[in-house]
Parts: sequence; structure tokens; C-alpha cells
Amino acid sequence: MSRKIEFPKDSPVAVVSADWGDSNATVRGGAYLLDVHAALTLRNIGQQRIRGITLAVYAQEVTPGGKGAVSQPSLDVGPGDTFSLRIDMPLLRPLGSGNTGPGVEVTLDGVLFDDLSFRGPNKLNSQRTLTVWELEARRDRKYFRNLLETQGREALRNEMLASLSRQADRMQPGVQMVRGRATNMDTEHEIQFAFLDVPDSPVTPVDGTARVSGNEARAPRFEVRNRSMRPVRHLEIGWLVQDQNGREFYAASMPADLNLAPNQSGQVVQDTALRFRDQLAIQSMAGFVSTVEFADGSYWIPSRSALDNPRLRATLAPSPEEQRLAQIYNRKGLVALIEELKKF
Amino acid sequence: MSWHVAETQLALFITGDLPLWQSLGVRYHLGHCETCQARMETYRADRQRFQAHANQLPPGLDWDRLAAEMTANIHLGLEAGECVTPRPRKTRLLGERIRNAAPAFSWTRIGIPAGIMAGVFLLLVGSWVLNVPPSSTQSLLRSLRTIAMGGRDHIQTMRVLEDRTPTLEVSSTGIAVRENGSQLGMAQKGADPLAVSVSAQGSASAQYVDQETFQVTVTSVYVQ
Repeated sequence: MSRKIEFPKDSPVAVVSADWGDSNATVRGGAYLLDVHAALTLRNIGQQRIRGITLAVYAQEVTPGGKGAVSQPSLDVGPGDTFSLRIDMPLLRPLGSGNTGPGVEVTLDGVLFDDLSFRGPNKLNSQRTLTVWELEARRDRKYFRNLLETQGREALRNEMLASLSRQADRMQPGVQMVRGRATNMDTEHEIQFAFLDVPDSPVTPVDGTARVSGNEARAPRFEVRNRSMRPVRHLEIGWLVQDQNGREFYAASMPADLNLAPNQSGQVVQDTALRFRDQLAIQSMAGFVSTVEFADGSYWIPSRSALDNPRLRATLAPSPEEQRLAQIYNRKGLVALIEELKKF
Repeated sequence: MSWHVAETQLALFITGDLPLWQSLGVRYHLGHCETCQARMETYRADRQRFQAHANQLPPGLDWDRLAAEMTANIHLGLEAGECVTPRPRKTRLLGERIRNAAPAFSWTRIGIPAGIMAGVFLLLVGSWVLNVPPSSTQSLLRSLRTIAMGGRDHIQTMRVLEDRTPTLEVSSTGIAVRENGSQLGMAQKGADPLAVSVSAQGSASAQYVDQETFQVTVTSVYVQ
């Protein structure tokens, strides 16, 4: 299996070392299955602190399963510092003319700095993803610091225990994504979305439906309205599903690029089918706006208090930063957590 | 005549239950013995009177209901007997003549052909397992199941077709790439993610936290 790491000439990070470990390629039907395992050591060769990075991993750009990405949010890498990054993923590369054999290429998709500036090709929209994660990280770190300062160590401890408990209790059934295909429609029916009100959301979902058959939902569509005074260019809707036993879980996110002027309505449509495993039958669905990107490049994310909605608390995964802080508390204790919160 | 037909033989002759060779002998004797002939007529008349009397049901008796209850009780008794001591049935329906037990069983007669067939079967199975990819086997089994169901489960049929192309699946164990229903690979094998998600735009992601460095890594695989 051939391997290639290629970063742009103006990349703010450089590869110090790359260990491909037990990466291998096997033939499966009409394609190579590339089992990619790599441990990279990168150095910040720029002048700013790095808060997030995304690497794109390609076996074949257009084949389903031929492209992947590895992101590391919640970083704090100063100029000249090194950090490690692991790549572990299966990718597919079809057999056939034009392909010279199994091979994988790693490129830089983007780096986010502490001033929220971004550099990189951004082919996988990593600027948006990294920026949202960084905003969530700042929101959550501020929340936990305020909790410590106003209510003390015990309140912080209790909040961490509650976060760990929520993570353990959160339901995650198997979900299979089938894109752009239609299944049998004999027993299919249309289900209306109910919407959760997220306070201060600049975009409001007005209407939404999806076609449901048993444990499969497809072709979701939403009508949304920009109720802010700023034009919107991108939004993301969270999709909740309730099964036959009344259990609710986060099914998928629906990103959509759409230009909405102030007070304008628009439609979000996806040619996607989700199939749920574990003998699950869809009873009802709900949606909520989880991210909005304005035309000027700024973002809106739900506030910490908005996430106190019991249904969102139970279904939404915590931010990567909250997960990281909870693991620090879980492994190293409250003192280590407080030290971490004081860093920045 | 110096001898006469026994009463039991005569009674069986009248009802037609005497074996053929005995019936011929009785018939010949009746043609030459007035005593036995008179006795036969008496027995025949008695039988007809009894039959006529038996056909008269007591007033108010619901024979259909009685017959249904008796039939149900008989079936119940038979099934209860099967639960206690299951044994090969000798009759299929009530009223059928009981036949003799199954023909003689011989290990030699069936053991050798069965052994040969078992050996051939094992050889075929072994060759299949060694040479045919598991994914193809599972695909074939699914197709056969679909055919057996006569196409009634259309959704399952369509899924068989869909599953021929790679699909992404997320679960509590991470991201899996599947084809023909078989799992081709799993991102970060051996490590359970803290969170997984699916984007309707065509990707699946899993979040991991390194337990030593506490660095968060988000692995994503794209369908399109």
C-alpha cells in the first residue's frame, strides 16, 4: 500500500514523523479495503497558537467510503510545539483501470488558530466544523469556570458527575446511512416533525416532514425562517427520533447551505435515508436548530442555558471540550480539572 | 348334517367380517343345512331390529353436538398421550384401519448411502468455505431467502440490492463500512467512541478521547 503525506507550501504545520504501523490493504470484491493506521507527529511552524486541525485522508475521492478526515479540536499548541495525531479508519478504493494499486494520501484540510482565523484548502468544510467546536469549547470552559468561581468545587464536581452520567445514559442505536437510494414505499407514510424551541435561535423551523417506513426514514425536508436581522448562509438542524418504547435519541444532523435574507424563509431538503438497527420502529421525530452561520462569517450556537432543555440534555452529545474535561476529571480528579480550566 | 356352523362364525358371516376362505365354507354349508339356514335368518332379523332401534335417538338429544364433543375429547386424549409418550402414529385419522408397524429397519441398508452422502456434503461445504468469500455467501443466502419469501417482503428485497454498495453505519462501537451486509472495517478498532454522529450530507463521525493525553480526535468517513 503506497502512502503519501502532502501539505501545502504555506502550511502552518509540518510533519515531524509518520509511523504507518500495521496499515494494510486487502481485496474485497471489486475494491481494495485500506485499513489505515498511522501515528503522526506534527509541529506548529507558524506564529499563532493552534486550536484545531483537520487532515483529509484519501483513498479515492469520489468512491463512497473512499474519503475520510481526522480532526483534533480543543488543542492548545504554541509556536514550535509538537503534537501527535492518530489516523485509524477503513477506506475503499475501487479496482480497475486508472488505479495503480492501493494507496492513501494525507493532506491538510485546515488549521484553526486562537483568534478564530483559519488557513487551509477547506475542501471538507473543516473551517466551519473547527470554528463551531472552538466556540462550544469556549462556552463550556467559561461555564465550568463560572461554576467554580461562584459555587465552589463541589458544584463543579457535581456538574462533572452529571455530565459523565448523561454520557453513559445517552442512547445511541445503530444508524446506517443510505444516500440517494429509494427503498420500498409500500408501507411508507409521512411524519411531521415537532420542533424544540431553542432560545435566541436566529433561525426558526416552521415545518418539516420525512417519509418513514418501519425503522427507516428518508427524504427529510424542512422549511425555516430567518428571524434575525442578519443574512444567513448556512445552518444545521438536529434530528431527534423517538422509538416505539418512547426512547428518544439523536439520529443525525442536517447541514444545509442556503442564503436567507432577514425575515426570509427557505427550504432544507436532503436526499438521504437513515436506517436504524436494534429492532427500532420510528414513532415520532423532532428537530431543532443547532448551528447557524451568518453571511459575515460569524456563528451562532445554543447557549449553555438553552441546552438545559431536558430533551436536548438527554439526547445531545456534549461538546468535544466537555467530553475532554469530563475525562480529565474522571481519570485525574478535581484538582487536575481545575488546573486545566485555569490554563486559558 | 352332522355338524353345524358355530354361532360366532355365523354372526361374522352375516356382518361380512369372516375371512374369505371360511366364508366360502359357511356358504356351502348353509346351502345344504336347513338348521343353520334358519339360525342365520333369525340372527339377520335380530340384527336388523337392533340397527333400527339404535338409529332412533332419545328425544331431545343433540347428536351433532355430542359427536363434536366426543371427537374433541378423543383428539385431546391422543395429544395428551403424545406429550407423555411420543410414538409413531399408526393411524392418520380416526376410523382408519390400524396398519402394522413400519417395515423392518436395517442400519446396513441406510447407513452406507447416508455415510457416502454425508462425506460428499462435507467435501462440498469445505470447498465452498475455503474458496467463496463470506460476503458472497451472505449475499447468496439473503437472495435465497428473498426468493423463498416470494418477493412478499419488498423492503427486504430492496435492501438486498442496496446493500451491494458500501454504506456507513455508526453505533456505540464506532463507524463501520459495510458492503453486502458484511462489515469491511471499523474505524479505531478496539476503542469505543464517546460519541458518534451521522450527517445527512454524507458522512459519519466518531469522537474519541485519548486517556493519556486527553486529546480529542474526531474520525470521519464520507459516503459522498
